[in-house]
Amino acid sequence: MDGGAQEMNELIVIFLSMALINNFILVRYLGLCPFLGVSKELGPAVSMGIAVTFVMIIASLATWLINHYILIPFDIQYMYIIVFILVIASLVQVIELFIKKTNIALYSAFGIYLPLITTNCAVLGVTIINMMGSYTLLESLVAALGGGLGFTLVLAIMAGIREKLELADTPRAMKGAPIALITATLLGLAFFGFVGIV
Amino acid sequence: MTHIGALVGIGLGCGLLIYLVFVKVPQKVKGLEKTEELNAILPGVNCGACGYPGCFAYAQALSQEPGLVTKAPCSMTLNDPERLEQLEKALGITLDASELGKKAVIHCSGNSEIICDYSGAMTCKGAAQLLSGYKKCPYACLGLGDCVNVCPQGAVSIDPQKNVAIVDQEKCTGCGLCVAGCPRNLIELAPAGTKIARLCNYQPLRDIPGREKCDFGCIRCRKCIKACEYEAIVWNKEKAIPEIVQEKCRLCHKCIEACEHGRLIALTKSTEQDLIPA
Repeated sequence: MDGGAQEMNELIVIFLSMALINNFILVRYLGLCPFLGVSKELGPAVSMGIAVTFVMIIASLATWLINHYILIPFDIQYMYIIVFILVIASLVQVIELFIKKTNIALYSAFGIYLPLITTNCAVLGVTIINMMGSYTLLESLVAALGGGLGFTLVLAIMAGIREKLELADTPRAMKGAPIALITATLLGLAFFGFVGIV
Repeated sequence: MTHIGALVGIGLGCGLLIYLVFVKVPQKVKGLEKTEELNAILPGVNCGACGYPGCFAYAQALSQEPGLVTKAPCSMTLNDPERLEQLEKALGITLDASELGKKAVIHCSGNSEIICDYSGAMTCKGAAQLLSGYKKCPYACLGLGDCVNVCPQGAVSIDPQKNVAIVDQEKCTGCGLCVAGCPRNLIELAPAGTKIARLCNYQPLRDIPGREKCDFGCIRCRKCIKACEYEAIVWNKEKAIPEIVQEKCRLCHKCIEACEHGRLIALTKSTEQDLIPA
């Protein structure tokens, strides 16, 4: 019972750490391309976040299995980056193909976002963090879920702010990318406030 | 050696997985073949001009209701004879490119008097910001060619004598870029096959009639409405200008004869068929 509670605690710490304290976008600076590219409107931003979360979980599962049953037994862990990129990219392609054939509604909901994530560094990042932290399978999945939800949260906040910013009277030189980057900085500072929660 | 073997194994495994899903997973969604076929014909640039979020969504809608092609046509397909032929074959419908889609129409004859020398930025946008432009009529075409610059088809040109933009109806694809580019909102996307167009956009409301601003301005005499035997011209109360109902127009040209100031012009040549009343 005591061991179970401790394990549960561990999982909650991992989840919070991945979602808020070590947020992928604002603290680790991973996945910045969709952060600036897909954060102009709330709808696409949330779609992108959900797609990333989904791919992160699937990728964590696959890379954990590959790491434990192929890389470690054959002692080729030094090749992990290349192997993970290959596995993630082909996995996303397989999922896209599968969804396209079986569920067209889901396929059109994911739209262009699924193939876009193929080479997203946040996805590769979560798998590498899982490996470096030598997490168990359950822990990696929780880490991926936390990371994905944190990513979605930041993307949604950013999109909400940028929707308002479109209407704001920003100086001409600041319009567009500059004000978006300043917003990102302030958001990052706010997220540093989470350091020390755990 | 085992290292290389394991890596090659992973690579081959990934490839094999994709192959298996591609070949073995059955196509469960029905009717998708038709959508895929249509999607291959469409230009695939996802411009959204048809009103659907992309070419795939448009193809999906078309596969369910082929008649949609006349209501929400793809202007890029209409302007490409090869694609049009393929689409006709796929849908089993014959399409007349000249009757579908939209064409830009400019509501100004360009006859408004020039009241000052303008030497600022040579764009309509710049000139329009200076009081009400350098022409007497605040609704007049400024003729500095903002619409010419945005037109990807080279369909808009400036008449050098009258200083007014003119649309070549043959070349226009109805993309609507000039509508957004005109600071005076003079350009309208009218259904292709538009027969008669109004050449004045002056909206006086409680102001003096357009005649004061330009020799060819609409004086609200409503002679065109009276002249029309088919009730094809109606009075737009909001803008205080005559509107032409294209579906009812039989191209008798009586309104053009009735209008003393040449504000109405025929966009299409009248044919024998058009002149026969329904």
